[in-house]
Amino acid sequence: MAANEKFAAIRKGLLEFLILKIVSADKVYVADMLQRLASTDFATQEGTLYPLLSRMRRDGLLDYEWQESDAGPPRKYYRLTAAGRAQLAELNEYWKYINATLNQMGR
Amino acid sequence: MQKVVTINLNGRAYNLEEPGYDALVAYLDRAGAQLADNPDRAEILADLEQAIAEKCDRLLAPHKTVVDAGEIQRILTEMGPVDAGKGDAAGADAGEAAAGGSSETKAGAASKRLYQIREGAMISGVCAGIAAYLDIDVTLIRVAFVILAVVTRGVWLLVYGVLMFVIPYAETSEERAAASGRPFSAQELIDQAKRNYADFKTNTHWSRHWRRQQRQWHRQWRYTMAPHAWNARAAYASQVWTSATAPMLGLINAALALALVFALFSLATTQSVFGVALPAGVPLWAGFVIVIGLYQLVAMPLIAAHRAAAYPGMPGPMIWMAPFANLVWLAAVCYGVYYGYHHVPALHDAIDTALATLRHTAAEMQEK
Repeated sequence: MAANEKFAAIRKGLLEFLILKIVSADKVYVADMLQRLASTDFATQEGTLYPLLSRMRRDGLLDYEWQESDAGPPRKYYRLTAAGRAQLAELNEYWKYINATLNQMGR
Repeated sequence: MQKVVTINLNGRAYNLEEPGYDALVAYLDRAGAQLADNPDRAEILADLEQAIAEKCDRLLAPHKTVVDAGEIQRILTEMGPVDAGKGDAAGADAGEAAAGGSSETKAGAASKRLYQIREGAMISGVCAGIAAYLDIDVTLIRVAFVILAVVTRGVWLLVYGVLMFVIPYAETSEERAAASGRPFSAQELIDQAKRNYADFKTNTHWSRHWRRQQRQWHRQWRYTMAPHAWNARAAYASQVWTSATAPMLGLINAALALALVFALFSLATTQSVFGVALPAGVPLWAGFVIVIGLYQLVAMPLIAAHRAAAYPGMPGPMIWMAPFANLVWLAAVCYGVYYGYHHVPALHDAIDTALATLRHTAAEMQEK
């Protein structure tokens, strides 16, 4: 897909939505999140993702727990909170609405 | 061939080539500055460290124990610049963007301390320093000082004098930056501690949280209480202390010199020092030698201490020694005088006479 400069703002705005989606399935480690995003247009770097995750946690959308790992120190695994789940449902609805609007406007 | 630096990333040791280490430090510093206003700063930095550590792990193998500079560069490029986490979310509005902008102007500023600033100073730079510290126009501070001086009938000038001696000069560019930088993040520390404590209390998995808490404290210690910050604070305290003792010692030295002149004068005119006559058989020149010798004995260490306090150019622990040495000498001289007053009749008499003379002169001056 053409990575048009004009789409950057759209991608930026949708990143939080995507993260909610990724985390909704199962608790996720940041490196895995990045890997899932890497193959898409939403490829993100740690420098952006960590501050965003910390803000989402402060907003009460995410939480994390420590899990021991075989290699190295314990890792943070993120999961959705109830508020995060509600927000995700809302966003899904809104996304459908936007899609419908776009389709109604013509081709 | 490159020098290798061993660093600790989240509890594990990594060997980096020196240029790579420098790049990593610069990256983390920039990240820390970007996150200056972020309440989760310490945690995010620790997360970044761990991410970097894991990337290093992937490069290392039993036969490869050093991460080279190019690899670090690649890792840092992969990590990407840290943005403050503002304006990148769906809900980013104009207000938030503005907040992001203001945080950027503050970012990178070191902790703030009160210094005198020579540049653009009228007298000594006290007002300029205070203005920089409070972030107010220097003219306002000057007007306030003048008004205070008039209202207090000049007493405020004394305060100014004291401030002039006590507030250190911003001599290095680092200190000049600190003069108008951000205040030391004591509040940040307290906030963090409160939040950690609240976290700790409300969580039922307290053992896990206790570990997390400890980890956080550990990180915090590394990021906000790093040794260089302590050194800077210690150096500042020492600067304040020495600049406070220096004028005191200078006054004592001046008084001693004055006493010497009086003693020599009275010896020449009346063959006695403060009412103590030379013992019979001692020639006048010997009296001069004795007086000057006594003066040297008392004044030399004081002068040395004064010099040490006034020019604290000594590195390392000597910075602490200078004010300490001053104190020891002050105490020693005080004790010497006290002991002499009570156990050496001649000195007792000399001090009494000197005090009487002083009182007499003062009374005379008051009559005029």
